[in-house]
Amino acid sequence: MFDAIVVGSGMSGGWAAKELTEKGLKTLVIERGQHIEHGADYTDSLSPWEQCYAFSTANKHFWVRDSDHPYSVEEGKPFMWIRGYHLGGRSLMWARQSYRLSPMDFEANLKDGHGSDWPIRYEDMAPWYDHVEHFAGISGSTEGLPQLPDGQFLPPMELTGTEKDFKEKLEAAWPTRKLIIGRCAHLTKAQPHHEELGRISCQYRSLCERGCSFGSYFSSLSATLPAAERTGNLTIVTDSIVHSIVYDPKTGKATGVRVIDANTKQGRTYEAKVVFLCASTIPTAQILLNSKSEAFPTGLANRSDAVGRYLMDHLSGLGAGGTYPGFEGHYHHGRRPNGFYIPRYRNVTEPAEDFVRGYGFQGGVMRDNWRRGVSQPGVGAEFKAGLRAPGPWRLGMGGFGEMLPRPTNRVTLHPTKTDKWGIPLVHIDCALGDNEKKMIARLQADAKEMLERAGCTDIYVNKHYGGLGLGIHEMGTAHMGRDPKTSVLNKYNQAHDVPNLFVTDGACMASSGCQNPSLSYMAMSARGANFAVQFLREGRI
Amino acid sequence: MNSLSGLPALDRRTLIRSAILLVGGSVAGLPDIALAADAPAKRFFTPAQFAVLAEVADIMIPRTDTPGAKDAGVPEAFDSLMTNWASPQHQAQFRALIDEIGGAGLLSLPAAERPALVRKLDADKLKAWDPAYVRFKELVLTLYYLSEAGATKELRYELIPGKWEPWTEVTADTRAWAA
Repeated sequence: MFDAIVVGSGMSGGWAAKELTEKGLKTLVIERGQHIEHGADYTDSLSPWEQCYAFSTANKHFWVRDSDHPYSVEEGKPFMWIRGYHLGGRSLMWARQSYRLSPMDFEANLKDGHGSDWPIRYEDMAPWYDHVEHFAGISGSTEGLPQLPDGQFLPPMELTGTEKDFKEKLEAAWPTRKLIIGRCAHLTKAQPHHEELGRISCQYRSLCERGCSFGSYFSSLSATLPAAERTGNLTIVTDSIVHSIVYDPKTGKATGVRVIDANTKQGRTYEAKVVFLCASTIPTAQILLNSKSEAFPTGLANRSDAVGRYLMDHLSGLGAGGTYPGFEGHYHHGRRPNGFYIPRYRNVTEPAEDFVRGYGFQGGVMRDNWRRGVSQPGVGAEFKAGLRAPGPWRLGMGGFGEMLPRPTNRVTLHPTKTDKWGIPLVHIDCALGDNEKKMIARLQADAKEMLERAGCTDIYVNKHYGGLGLGIHEMGTAHMGRDPKTSVLNKYNQAHDVPNLFVTDGACMASSGCQNPSLSYMAMSARGANFAVQFLREGRI
Repeated sequence: MNSLSGLPALDRRTLIRSAILLVGGSVAGLPDIALAADAPAKRFFTPAQFAVLAEVADIMIPRTDTPGAKDAGVPEAFDSLMTNWASPQHQAQFRALIDEIGGAGLLSLPAAERPALVRKLDADKLKAWDPAYVRFKELVLTLYYLSEAGATKELRYELIPGKWEPWTEVTADTRAWAA
């Protein structure tokens, strides 16, 4: 018997485990994927030519193969579900951009009537953002923007001269827009509490997606799980797929989880006083829906019928790029694992004619290397000599747009198909709505216009792929709300229907903002874990 | 209900890569492309095809004051990728491309006349934006510039830069970073 079970070891699970163990709870973390050893299982010490045939993905072993873990989607509604099933989850492969949601994000649903009103406001989250930023190490600049609150930042990374030039031109053309350096979970200046965990400052290799042996970017493996480990209260099991949560109708509480061994397919049960679901948005819904009992015939904590519904992702893959003329006398040294950010301005400082909410842009202005040779006609000594010099400066940027919460965008269990462990497959039925389509059109037009005003040439605008999932920001399938009849979780991330069950991963989100969500999952997990400890101590759960 | 997303595998890979690129926010942030240095026990290409491949690669990137594609082991690495990584569809495309070039009589021409044939082929195929050829050229360039010779003798590479200098002065002789 454990005090707490945390399902999942990624961004959210790592934080829940850290907070629960530091508060003295004997905690079991259950990971469905394999064990990964921080450092030893990374490939970041190898030069490109030292790697064996792992073409294009030195981190291929981190990404899930759909053939091993199938899912289904509604005909005509593509949803690309990108997963990482291993210890640390997607906290190993994340893009590390770290932004707070703002007061206007927590008020958005109430204001325009989409989804459920958040039962919390920015003020409830602010101290937890402080808490996680301090521990994780977030680099950024202080800007005083209402739509993007400042935080506890390590020193910002620097923009290139061309990015500064773009910033000047952009802000002169549109005083309503700002370009800032990206805020990212990298130790630009490691503090003693980072070094205690064996983490050092960023070495500007930009090999992050292979894992970082230096622990310079935040992940469960570099930070939260080691912190949990040193309390002596942590147990981790890997290769263990949670089938469902065990519910006791007599007490009205969850008593533990049923697990299937990924290798032997043997079943077993773990028990605890409190259960945290941090399995990531879609699997969290899958587990709840698969936890059927007489008391909960449609899935645990699902009296609202909201479990699996309101699935959101960020609109992404909306890039634009072009050549940034001039500045041939300058270059850059080192590989900055970060770029610039243009925070949301639509429906903040500038109106939008035909949609609610907004979008931000992430990008960079860097000099081309030999890759430009691929599309350039030519062979031989002259061609080779031409590619020896740095190429022109190139501006590339991508938009991330907010998607509205809609009950029809949902995850269900497939009625007949199961995976090789006998668990019903997830079926995803999720599509862009009218608001999203209008937003995409405006976003692309804005991107093109900004590049034009900056004097770019050879401008291209990526056509949107028409589907969802590639934001890799799934959210909303067990959302927080004020009313137990329409939402799954209360303001403590506690299930309305099951008091000792907490959900703190992306599933809890009532709206998505347009900011990268990981920092919010961290803060939500730390906050939820602290409430759980308090309620346990008070004998309330 | 589909069992998958409905997009072909390559498009999906491309999208994932561009997704990573975009969220990374850095044009230089593309995942590094790894390659094979060891010749596999069994080759994908026949000896005749391998000879054509090696000749084309070395015409594209010849030995100058720095090593060329053959010196850098590009043909062997290319073959290894075909054996270990390429999908059947890509294997077939690349084999057909090599056969096409071989069939055009590349190796029966005197050495001095071969570059002209490859140059014309390159111009034609890029103009028509032949996807198999574009991928082929990308692979040859990738394998060369991320080989030890290409990355450290022709260009510059640092495994651990240790710092970020966003605005350094350069001259006409400055070499590009390989990554």
